[in-house]
Amino acid sequence: MDIDDFGPKEPTCRMLEANDKRAYFIVRDWNLETANSLRRVMLAEVPTLAIDTVEVLDNTSVLADEFIAHRLGLIPLIAEDVDKLIDFRDCDCEDSRCDNCSVTLRLKAKCTGNDVMKVYARDMVIESMPPSDKLGQPVITDAEGNGSCIVKLRKGQAIDMRCIAKKGIAKEHAKWAPSAAIGFEYDPANKLHHLDLWYEGDDPKKEWPVDETRVDLDGGPEKTDEPFNYDAVPERFFFDVETVGGLSPDSIVNNGIKVLQQKLASVIKELTGVDEASAGLDGAQSPTMDGGFGNDGYGNDGGYTTPGYGGANAYAGGTTPYGATPYGGAPGW
Amino acid sequence: MEGSKILCNAKLINDNPNTQGRDYVKQKTHAEENLPDRFELFILDEGQQKIEVREETKVPNTTVFTFNKEDHTLGNLISQRLLKYDYITFSAYKVPHPLFATFELRVTTDGSITPKDAVVRCCKDVIQDLSKVSMSFQGEWLNQKIIEEGQRDAEVRDQGNY
Repeated sequence: MDIDDFGPKEPTCRMLEANDKRAYFIVRDWNLETANSLRRVMLAEVPTLAIDTVEVLDNTSVLADEFIAHRLGLIPLIAEDVDKLIDFRDCDCEDSRCDNCSVTLRLKAKCTGNDVMKVYARDMVIESMPPSDKLGQPVITDAEGNGSCIVKLRKGQAIDMRCIAKKGIAKEHAKWAPSAAIGFEYDPANKLHHLDLWYEGDDPKKEWPVDETRVDLDGGPEKTDEPFNYDAVPERFFFDVETVGGLSPDSIVNNGIKVLQQKLASVIKELTGVDEASAGLDGAQSPTMDGGFGNDGYGNDGGYTTPGYGGANAYAGGTTPYGATPYGGAPGW
Repeated sequence: MEGSKILCNAKLINDNPNTQGRDYVKQKTHAEENLPDRFELFILDEGQQKIEVREETKVPNTTVFTFNKEDHTLGNLISQRLLKYDYITFSAYKVPHPLFATFELRVTTDGSITPKDAVVRCCKDVIQDLSKVSMSFQGEWLNQKIIEEGQRDAEVRDQGNY
């Protein structure tokens, strides 16, 4: 297949639902490999913030230190500005707990009354000076404003813990996962026959429910009178990104795209030996990208046209997550 | 695996007689000692290169790239995307062993371009593609958000009228 066959068609999004919890959208005229890579990146490689080290100063609750430490690790923290933190493995500070690479939260509670006391995520107080106000605060979404319950205390029991939250990715531990779930589907009507539906009776169509709305969005059900097109490839992708609360759904998608672009840029840098950014690609296209993909016949390398890679962005300081600094500290960007 | 590491070099809280002094950093269990660190999946080993390039001498215009600390996210993306260019005659990847975060990408071209340049060009194109998706997504997100907020406001107003 010639590259120009898909050159003129540009991938476009169509949003079906957008709120604080969920981004439900379709990408049209895209390809399966890139869509799947984006899905994988959003699941496992978008950096967020989570408690990684716990100093136990006091614990007379019925739960073991390890047990509580595990619970603390899983508490979602607001991570909207994690870009401002550097990776703790790259930080020069001793035992990696400085304000540049971590946020310290203190959980201190003692039960004095006769009733059982519940200690919630809201009881954690930020002790350090995080780079932005909200960064590191526990995510609270319930109506009472409590957040997750960490431990119950009886009279006289107390806990006192210093929790050091760090930036990380879900590849290392699932507590850093930005998304609670990512729905991903293409071809809901199974027109491409990528699925071989299991059935007990005579007809799989009778036994399998059909998502009518999605089928309509994907160009209607299969036309049985037409011959099967063996060259057809998936072009429309349904994404349903649901957040844990630390990052907004659109940040997950945008950061996912950024991380994937950085990955690819690091490949380019490694193979060409040139830091693309410092090579001064003056031929970089305008942000509108009207004259983009496929039009120049690859005669000139258009450079990257990512919005947000301007000189003043968070990645420009040469401190991209996980070492690769494809866009790092470059002049003219 | 634990959610977070414990560091107990803590001072005793004096006013509580139930507290036992703990002065240890948690020992690893036998199983944990054999467990490879999870960050080895994405952080390069000491002196390791991100990509090792090996020319295939038996076949012309063929290169095998070994990507270290990368997985199917990049492997599938690059190998599948390369197949769409007509100067590529072969492109595939494999993960030699599932416990090691590495994959090998083998690329053969028709000779009009080196495999290395082909991969670089492919990566650039994907980056541009992603930029377009990103732009389109941001616009759509804002639109939809405004619409949904408008609807919610309208509902609130309607309820106030009753």
